[in-house]
Amino acid sequence: MLERCLEARPVRQIHRALRHGKVALLCLFVTIIVLRSTIGAEKSGTPEQDFDEIRDHLHFRRRAEPRRVLEEAQTTDATNINNYNTFDPSKLMVDEEEDEKPDPNKPYSLGPKISGWDEQRANWLEKNPDFPNFIGPNKPRVLLVTGSSPKPCENPVGDHYLVKSIKNKIDYCRLHGIEIFYNMALLDAEMAGFWAKLPLIRKLLLSHPEVEFLWWMDSDAMFTDMAFEVPWQRYKDHNFVMHGWNEMVYDQKNWIGLNTGSFLLRNCQWSLDILDAWAPMGPKGKIRTEAGKILTRELKDRPVFEADDQSAMVYLLVTQRDKWGDKVYLESAYYLHGYWGILVDRYEEMIENYHPGLGDHRWPLVTHFVGCKPCGKFGDYPVERCLKQMDRAFNFGDNQILQIYGFTHKSLASRRVKRTRNETDNPLEVKDELGLLHPAFKAVKVSSS
Amino acid sequence: MGQDGFMAFKRSGAGGGALPTTNRLSGGRPPSGIPRGRQIQKTFNNLKITVLCGLVTILVLRGTIGVGNLGGSDAEAENQNLIEETNRILAEIRSDGDPSDPDDPAETEINPNITYTLGPKISNWNEERKAWLNNNPEFPNYISGKARILLVTGSPPNPCDNPIGDHYLLKAIKNKIDYCRIHGIEIVYNLAHLDKELAGYWAKLPLIRRLMLSHPEVEWIWWMDSDALFTDMVFEIPLSKYNGYNLVIHGYPDLLFEQKSWIALNTGSFLFRNCQWSLDLLDAWAPMGPKGPIRDEAGKILTANLKGRPAFEADDQSALIYLLMSKKEEWMNKVFIENSYYLHGYWAGLVDRYEEMIEKYHPGLGDERWPFVTHFVGCKPCGSYGDYPVERCLKSMERAFNFADNQVLKLYGFRHRGLLSPKIKRIRNETATPLEFVDQFDIRRPVRGGTDSKSHIMPHW
Repeated sequence: MLERCLEARPVRQIHRALRHGKVALLCLFVTIIVLRSTIGAEKSGTPEQDFDEIRDHLHFRRRAEPRRVLEEAQTTDATNINNYNTFDPSKLMVDEEEDEKPDPNKPYSLGPKISGWDEQRANWLEKNPDFPNFIGPNKPRVLLVTGSSPKPCENPVGDHYLVKSIKNKIDYCRLHGIEIFYNMALLDAEMAGFWAKLPLIRKLLLSHPEVEFLWWMDSDAMFTDMAFEVPWQRYKDHNFVMHGWNEMVYDQKNWIGLNTGSFLLRNCQWSLDILDAWAPMGPKGKIRTEAGKILTRELKDRPVFEADDQSAMVYLLVTQRDKWGDKVYLESAYYLHGYWGILVDRYEEMIENYHPGLGDHRWPLVTHFVGCKPCGKFGDYPVERCLKQMDRAFNFGDNQILQIYGFTHKSLASRRVKRTRNETDNPLEVKDELGLLHPAFKAVKVSSS
Repeated sequence: MGQDGFMAFKRSGAGGGALPTTNRLSGGRPPSGIPRGRQIQKTFNNLKITVLCGLVTILVLRGTIGVGNLGGSDAEAENQNLIEETNRILAEIRSDGDPSDPDDPAETEINPNITYTLGPKISNWNEERKAWLNNNPEFPNYISGKARILLVTGSPPNPCDNPIGDHYLLKAIKNKIDYCRIHGIEIVYNLAHLDKELAGYWAKLPLIRRLMLSHPEVEWIWWMDSDALFTDMVFEIPLSKYNGYNLVIHGYPDLLFEQKSWIALNTGSFLFRNCQWSLDLLDAWAPMGPKGPIRDEAGKILTANLKGRPAFEADDQSALIYLLMSKKEEWMNKVFIENSYYLHGYWAGLVDRYEEMIEKYHPGLGDERWPFVTHFVGCKPCGSYGDYPVERCLKSMERAFNFADNQVLKLYGFRHRGLLSPKIKRIRNETATPLEFVDQFDIRRPVRGGTDSKSHIMPHW
């Protein structure tokens, strides 16, 4: 037995060594992997980078080409400080000072309670006859309010679409004698996101007593009927006009029964009160999240997410119909807000069969690109469809402006324009088809001086 | 491993393995069978190795696919897809290619023998316009004693070469919207090339002509570049000063007539009265514009005749300077070269002094103490390269924007936290009687309304 032991020992040692070696190797491997993925090896690469590299090498993906091409193009001029492509925009803005911390014990409020706003305003208007709240017999002074973030969009083409969108609004408002306020400031950090419009609207109503109606419009909404004038007379007994359907809001409690992307709010005490009633679900954090749960539970078809201003308004109207309902007009006779999905493919059909000035399904006043989020990284719809359709909607509206001057886009997809009318030596005899050059709704009151 | 090795393995495991076992002591068993102790040891060893291998696998998977569940991996892949998709579309959108182009007939060659014209010659515009205004009293050229001004600006129809350019176009138009709202001026933002031949900086000529002829109710057309920002929200152009003039442009007469400098005047911000004289000047200005050999040749003439001008194709500013210089008697009596305030203010000498201005002066001055317009010539944020370092340009534009925005936000009780900060802070508490502040801070009220004693005279042109 001793002999056998002696014989077996070297073999045994070898095997033992082998086993130790195996274990040691495995432990070493584990250590390396853990180190790489935690400490973040930028030089040697993480497993994820390895994976990417392997993937890229194995599958030649043509879709990756544009990005690589763009990246390569950008890196060649890395040393040139005059080159915009190599500039990092995050270096640009400086966030000075801390955000104000709200008092957790105080319930949120948009501002000190104001009562008697109607009287205050009426007094002011009397003392300031040069700033009347009606600029024509049936024409109230309207302020269109829209806005976007003061920081560059995450999506590289987002800002370009914001420029097109504001140009579109400038055109409509110039034709219709409406003033524009483009907001880029977050007035209240607690009401960030879609709720930011509430403190802004309140601030504007109180600072501009001469404004009779405030028209909020999202940055992703575009005017597609340049000739349609809002029927102001229809709303003489109402203070809040939104696109929507009574049945969908009051009967079905559907969260998309109305749309707060484009609405009219009269400058009066009632409006200040409804803003105060609307705001409580807004403050970000726990309040907004909890409120979101209530809204999802109470409203039909609402997905689970934090409280948004639109759902909160539906809920407010449903639960307090007696208090607010009589002054709210849910307009569905024309597209004060028009969901883009059902409109954009029909533009050619509209051009063939109808004409501007209708404002409804035949020729929508507003095409609203809900869910596209061109300024952000991700929307609810494919990027290509959104952007291409936004181009088409823009051109559809722009054609109505260009035709005033004798031009039109070569097609709804094209940025280029062509003449529809030759230049003449008698320009004042030319009348544009739609009568938008000197429209009645822009006429100044003829004074008796 | 043979039986021997197997036995040796067991034994060595028992002898010197990592885990001490007491199985050794369990006593001898017949060699043909496998002792239970050894079996347990063997299992243990296998288990060790299995566990280690499993650990390795999990770590590798974590590093590549994401923590725990498969949902993580989907998000990553989707993210990747979306980024690539966006970039592909981005490249498509930015390219000049047009889906309809192949169907168009080939573009007609510009014939250098035929003189380019902006349109059919019009000779009686003053009379026509007067007659129209008489017939259309609801579209007067003077409103509350103030002449109707139309501010015209624009940018190319395609996205900028880089996204930050579009962002500053957006800020610039917001800035103009604010000034024009406060001062009752209408804006036309042009995104179309009305005339292929006059593209680029020349595009303003056919646009101005077209707008003048379509809008006889407009008294003054104010062209402003997209890279010019209003920095004095209170200052108003003293139009009564220009009753006998038809073109108001910022510049220096000595630079123009004595030095013949190519930057004697600036066509980034100027006013054209809506009258026959202006149409004639536009017609005289245009010939150097048509792109191609005409513009190139004209560029050479301009470089030869104007001091300091680099060699490049003819631009509208050099062409106007050359025109006014060489046909002085014909045009200059109706041109007002303004330099008592910054109708155009070259940015480099102004942007670093904003804090000093805030400390010492106040809005409404319009001159070097508080510039009316800060014009970012040479920055070219919509292109790929500027004439100045990008960081300097963009930071300065941001500062100018916020400097102006502070004047707008004052009415609402806010200001930016710093000239480079997008965030704002309160400077006035909310009150239950907001109208007292409206009276105090609304820029419009002392300027417009009632007390203006300008008479409604039609100026002589």
